[in-house]
Formats: sequence, C-alpha cells, structure tokens
Amino acid sequence: MRMFRNLAAGAALLALAATAQTKLKVGDTAPDFKLPSTTGRPIGLADYKGQKNVVLAFYVLAFTGG
Amino acid sequence: MLGVSVDSPPANGHWAKELGLTFPLLSDMERKVSADYGVLNPQRPIANRTTFVVDKEGKIAYIEEGKTAIDPTGAMQACSRLKK
Repeated sequence: MRMFRNLAAGAALLALAATAQTKLKVGDTAPDFKLPSTTGRPIGLADYKGQKNVVLAFYVLAFTGG
Repeated sequence: MLGVSVDSPPANGHWAKELGLTFPLLSDMERKVSADYGVLNPQRPIANRTTFVVDKEGKIAYIEEGKTAIDPTGAMQACSRLKK
C-alpha cells in the first residue's frame, strides 16, 4: 500500500513538472536580457532588435542531452 | 541562435568547444531570465527545455516546450516564415 502511495506521489510530481509552462504567448514582447556569454562579451536581446530574428533555446544543463 | 542555461560561462565554454557549436551560449546563473520567460523548473533550479523564436521587432513568433523542443524543425520553419 505504501509503495502504491509513493508511486502515486511520484506520478503527481511528474505531472506537475510537465505542466510547468511558460506564460508567454506568441505575439508577446520577448522579455529583454543581458547575460554573460561564451563570446566573452555579454549578449542581450536588444543587440538584435531591428536586425535579426533570434532563436532562443533554453536547455537543461551543459554536458547533458539538451 | 542563442543557447541559454543556468551553467557558468566556463562550463558552457567547455561544452560549446566539445560540441563545436557555432552560436553563443548564455549563462543565466541568477535564473532571472529563465524566470522572466517562465521556463524555470519548479522542482529543480534549472530551466526546462524550451525554444522561443523572437522576430526582429522583439515579438515572440514561436514557442516549443518540452521534449520536442530538442528537435529544431519547428523553430526553423518558424524562422523561414519570418522576414529575413
């Protein structure tokens, strides 16, 4: 019975993780930022405004599958 | 193309070199940007895998979340729909 309860709790946690979603929508203004980068210089979204479209890929951790 | 994670710049630097990446990786160590974009994992202090395409006007043109976001096809299609 306890094992079943643990399993249910685990499943609930997984479901919670799966539903953690961004509140941003297509058409919204993307929040601006300026962050340290691997180029040695900080990079901000504003750097590209009026010049380039940007693909912004958030990934889990370096040295993992994405 | 910009990659964003909560890793430090040295960790990202090593990883980018290992993979031979041609685009910069950004370090959101304070997790503020991940929080602003609503991609911070509520259980662990890391960002969930999410891809945003932002057009030249600074507006979001495309969002892909979860496991499928590792596949760039959707984001690439969204880009090709945008004006260069």
